Amino acid sequence: MSPVRRGETLPIYNRIRVLRTERGMSRAQLAELIGVNPQTVGALERGDHYPSLDLAFRICDVFGLPVEAVFSRTEFTPLSTELYRPRKEA
Amino acid sequence: MSTSSLIDRYEAYRTRRFLENEKLSSRWLPGWRTQHRRRILAGSVITLLAAMFVVAIASYFTKWAVIAWLPVTLIFLPTWTCLQIVTGRQSDAPRHALDEREIAERNSARSIGMSVAQTLLLIPVFALIFGATLDSLDHRALAYSMGGFALAALLFSGCLPAVLLAWTRPDDDPEE
Repeated sequence: MSPVRRGETLPIYNRIRVLRTERGMSRAQLAELIGVNPQTVGALERGDHYPSLDLAFRICDVFGLPVEAVFSRTEFTPLSTELYRPRKEA
Repeated sequence: MSTSSLIDRYEAYRTRRFLENEKLSSRWLPGWRTQHRRRILAGSVITLLAAMFVVAIASYFTKWAVIAWLPVTLIFLPTWTCLQIVTGRQSDAPRHALDEREIAERNSARSIGMSVAQTLLLIPVFALIFGATLDSLDHRALAYSMGGFALAALLFSGCLPAVLLAWTRPDDDPEE
């Protein structure tokens, strides 16, 4: 669900599921930390709901990451690939 | 006391009451919280409301149809209560008890309910206005019948947001 009123809906991809599981967090725990229903975390992970700026900042605060590390207009590549590539090049 | 602070205090009270009740009822009917079971309840509510429309119209032709209001209402009330319990009363929850996704869903469902109410209520309104000019009609029966129809229309549109939310909400995602 996009908050945009008219025009083309642009996708917002996120890494919430990867970051959450990486930290051994359940949906309910993350939901508690960001003040939403656990179903909303599921909807965010599936891309069924695009978060408001306030919610996006709350999520980023939990993971201690900047917004661009959690949300993107383009699809994310696997984290392992992103981590391995710079080492290989260096 | 300003109007806004009065509204804020009332909203805070409403939210507190809602969350207390929700805490109590969130464990009720655990087997009926799946999408399949919720859809059964939603379908039952719609069927009973449709029966109310039929009873309202039939009451113009025979006064005995009025008796059918009683069993329909008696079945409707527990069915509606069960639907409200399994949906967590999202359709009439106070704003501060919901998150942004739930508010967006609720507003969308309420908007549909409002449009349906406006359309359905036009039927008894026009029936009464134009029916009053026709001498061949039984005006007392018409007034009773359309009063029942308006009541059914209000109930239908009032219940529609909860029905839509119960129908569309997916099952909880299984944790990995």
